[in-house]
This record gives sequence, C-alpha cells and structure tokens, in this order.
Amino acid sequence: MTVRARLLGMAATATVALMALNPALAEEPDKIGLAVANLQANFFNQIKQSVETYAKEKGIEVITVDAKGDGATQVSQVQDLLTQEIDALIYIPAGAAAATVPTRLARDQGIPVINVDRNADGEPGDTFIASDSVTSAYNVCKHIFAQAGGEGEMVIVHGQKGTTPEVDRSKGCKQAMDETPGIKVVAEQWSQIWSQDEGFQLTQNMLQAHPEVKIVWGQADALALGAAQAVKVANLPQRIWVAGFDGDTAALTALSEGVFDVTATQQTQYMGRLAVDSAIALVKGETVPKEQLLEATLTTADNVKQFIDQHP
Amino acid sequence: MGKSIATGPAAPSFAALASLRGVTGPLLGLVLLCVFLSLATDSFLTLRNCLNVLDQITVLGIMAVGMTFVILIGGIDLAVGSTLALAMMVMAYLANELGLPLPLAILCALLIAAVTGLASGLLITGFGVPAFIATLAMMSVARGLANMITDGQQIVGFPPWFNLMAIIRYGGFLTVTVGLMLLVFVAGWLFLRYSTAGRSLYAIGGNAEVARLAGINVALTTIGVYVVSGVLAGLAGVVLAARLDSAQPSSGFTYELDTIAAVVIGGTSLSGGAGGIAGTAIGVLIIGVLRNGLNLLGVSPFTQQVVIGVVIALAVAAEAFRKR
Repeated sequence: MTVRARLLGMAATATVALMALNPALAEEPDKIGLAVANLQANFFNQIKQSVETYAKEKGIEVITVDAKGDGATQVSQVQDLLTQEIDALIYIPAGAAAATVPTRLARDQGIPVINVDRNADGEPGDTFIASDSVTSAYNVCKHIFAQAGGEGEMVIVHGQKGTTPEVDRSKGCKQAMDETPGIKVVAEQWSQIWSQDEGFQLTQNMLQAHPEVKIVWGQADALALGAAQAVKVANLPQRIWVAGFDGDTAALTALSEGVFDVTATQQTQYMGRLAVDSAIALVKGETVPKEQLLEATLTTADNVKQFIDQHP
Repeated sequence: MGKSIATGPAAPSFAALASLRGVTGPLLGLVLLCVFLSLATDSFLTLRNCLNVLDQITVLGIMAVGMTFVILIGGIDLAVGSTLALAMMVMAYLANELGLPLPLAILCALLIAAVTGLASGLLITGFGVPAFIATLAMMSVARGLANMITDGQQIVGFPPWFNLMAIIRYGGFLTVTVGLMLLVFVAGWLFLRYSTAGRSLYAIGGNAEVARLAGINVALTTIGVYVVSGVLAGLAGVVLAARLDSAQPSSGFTYELDTIAAVVIGGTSLSGGAGGIAGTAIGVLIIGVLRNGLNLLGVSPFTQQVVIGVVIALAVAAEAFRKR
C-alpha cells in the first residue's frame, strides 16, 4: 500500500515536472529571443524597436542579437538564446543559406519559432509574418512604369540574392513587366547587405554602361536612396524615375522631398506587435496561421505625410 | 636569451609548462572573463553552454592555427576568409551539382584551397610582392571565383551525415568538427614545438636573412606556410558548410580580421618570431567566450561591438606593457 502511494506520488511529481518542461502548457511567455539579420538595415531596426516596446508593455523580457548579415554568426547567437531558456524565438534569418539551422535547433527544444520577413523552405517557422511582397512589388513597378510612360530602359538593384524578399519582389515586378512590354531591363545587380552605398555604386556602374536608362528600381529604400544619389551625380539629360521598397523612416522623408519617386510602406510597427502576439499565442498552445501576410501601401509624395506622422 | 638556454635541456613536462610563458597575460584575461561571466549569469558555467562555445569557435580556431604560422614568419594572410568561401563553394558544387561523392568533393576543395595558398606564397617569394598585397589580391580573386561558381547563389542541403558531424556529440561531449579543431591545434602545437621545420618558422620570423645563412630554405618554408594556411582555411570552410548545412559565396566575409585578432590577442607578435599555438588557443577562446558571454548577458548588439573592440585593444596593450 505504502509502496503504491509512493509510486503515485512519484508519478504526480513527474507529471508536474513534465508540465513545467513543456512550454505548450505554460501560461504566458516571460522571455523571448529576437534574432535579427542585420540591425544596420532601418527596416529590421524598426521591427526590433517595435518588438521591444510592445513586449515591455506586456511585461515580457526580450533578448536581442544581431547577426550583421552573417548566417554562421546567427547560428551561434540562436544557440546562446536557447541557453538562456527563452520561451519563443522571433527569427529574421540572415541570408538565405543557413536559414534552416536555427529553426531546427529551437524545434529540438520544443520552442516555437516566429519567422519575420524571411522564411526557410526546408524548415519554415510555426508562423511567418511578412509583407505581401509579390503584390506590393507589382504595385510599385506598375506605378513607376505608368509614370515613365509605359516604355524605356530599366535597371534593377536587387536585394541579397536568394532571400525571401528578394525573390518575391523580383517576382512581383516581373508580373508588371509581362503586362508592360515596352519596358526593357538592360542590367541588374545584386547587393549583399541591402545598403545605401551598395545602391549607389551598383547604380553608378549600371548608368555608366546604359546612359539611356529611364527607370531605376532598388528593392529596398536604402538601395533606392543610393540609386537616387547615383542618378543625381550622373547628371544625365533625361528624367530618371527611381523606385524603392520598405518605407524606411528616413526614406519617407526623402520621398516627401522628391529625392525619389515611389515606395511601398511596410507595416513594421504592426509586424513587431503581431510577432509578439503570435509568440504569446504559440506559447499558450493556441493555433496561429502558417502565414500572415500584410499589405504594404503604395506610397508617393501625395500620401507620404500620413506615414511620416505615424508609421504603420 | 639566457633564460631559454637554461630551460632548453630541462624535462619535456617543464618545457611544456614554459611554453605558456608569454601567454600569462591572455590566460589571466580569459580566466577573469570566465569568472566574471560565471558570477554574472546563471547559464554561462553550464556544460551545455561550454560545449556551445566550443562549437562556435571551430571555424575561427582552425583558421587561427594557420594564421599563427603565417604571422610567426612575419607574414600576414588576408585571403583566408575568401579561401574559406571558395573551398566551401567548390565542395558544394562538385557534390550537389556534379554528383561527386562528398568525401571526394571535400578533397578537391582542400586542393583548391592549397592552390590559393601556393599562389600567394609564390607571389611573395618569387616576385617579392609584400605578403599584405599578395594575399589582398588573393582575397579578391578567391571571393570572385567563389561567386562565379554559382553566380552568387547559395547551395543548400547535404547528405544528413555531413550536417550531423557538427551536431551529434559523441560521448555527450565531442562533435566531429570540434574534435577536428582540437586535432588541428594539437598537431600545430607539436609541429611548432618539436619539429625542425616548426622551429625554423621562429628563425625566419626573427630574421629571414640570418635564417637563410643558417641553412634554412626560407622561400620553400614560406610557400609551405601559406599553403598550410590555405588548406586550413579550406578545412574551416568544409566545417562551416557542415555546421550551416549549406554553402554561400558570401561566407567568411571579414573572418580574416577575426582570425588575425585571435592570434594577436594570444600573444603572437605581428612582427614575427615570437608566439605560439597555446597563445592562439587562448586568443580564440577569449573571442569565443566574449561573444557568447555578451549574448548571455543580453548586452545590446551595438554595445557588443564597442566592448569587443575595447577588449582586443586592452589585451594586446596589456601584453605589450608587461613585456617592457
């Protein structure tokens, strides 16, 4: 009898211990890891700030690490986050190649993964939050093509090759091109870290080779700002239209001053909050949609002011 | 000089102990860092975290051994980061695109890495190009070639056993990749300490002309050192590919600077002739522990950059001050 009672007791203790170990049964997360691809990019920095501010309101501690664009660094950093017993991982993969490894590491420990902006095909996150890049890029290109009169030479400064946004934005713009046969892409180049000086250099080289260009598209605002500067320096006779993507804070101001012509403003503040809310839901064991795609608003000098006052 | 003569004929165990001389500064720094992190965080001094740190320093560690040899002879190798990427891409391309068996592809990758080292070595010895420029040129060439192989695309997905080399901990402790790094360190240490060729590196770094007059084939040794540095960078590329289960031509960007920093923090003199593998091991650990510890402390990413810079400066300044 006593043996049986003791066994029962042990079983009860074991169950409690298991419950404590299983995050799906825990109430609320109190620590979230945030692995960012590259904080030099304004877009990621905005998401980081939004996550940190919103989590603080919710009483959740956030530990942020910055991979500076290097996949290997990010794997190490996620290991370190997991050591600190985070309850959920908000994950923006650095580069495309190593994107699966951190998710796999987190899964091994039963920790839910919220992918933001980029997802890994081989190992997708429990949920994926991003802008609907295909549609938004389609809108940006459609708009700039119309501005340029539906015909002319175009050059493209792509983002980092193979990453989700680079692939999707290219796809969206390709759709617009198929509908506008007058547009001819004469050159395209890929940036490594989506930076402004890359945008400047790549565009300068392409303009050198193709002085007839009428449209330049940088797949991120930093690239577009660099491109706009290159256009200015080149001092070519024709009007050159410059398009971007992201709706970075600095870029929106530049847009309102006519530095470049059009962008798509992503809902970075909302993305950050949605990531935290998804983390809470996943930790509680609730179901969250596999993909949560948000619209990025086509932004020109006409409607930019509202986004400068209050970023979505 | 008198001291080294006095310790020369002593028992090997004492010699081994003496080999730590000159690295007491870095070692003290490492110990202090560990003590501080153990007190400041709950998670630092756990077996799991220590194993993580070992995982995280594998690539840096393997490259740093080659770089130690290079710096010992008074040279520098800026090409290691690019060579890493080139070897990684060659391996992945041969295995995944051309269907070669992976072990064979690895061998070819190491061969290519050796060739980059050979080219640097020949430029330096045959044409009198300064090591800084020769390897700077090779850095650019190797990076370009790495990108050309797949037109900048990454290659993802190797046979499972390859990725598992970096994941399964045999005996709950050693992954194949960490084991490989330890092996490289031990081999490097034995080579420098007990082989004639190893000792001749110090002679060349001390004074190449005197070394030549003493009958050392300086040119051949120099070429050999750059080949070894290239091969080890290639090996690091293979290890990194295993760890990431993918290969990317932008991998290893600025790793040459981390590697040089680790070697110099470990007390090896940039002007050559003084230093060793034990110090480099400590230098690599300092960088690894520091990065890991700052993450565990939850230090903001921007502050981390400042702290790492300050620690590098302090470590080297302290050692220089102590020697005076």
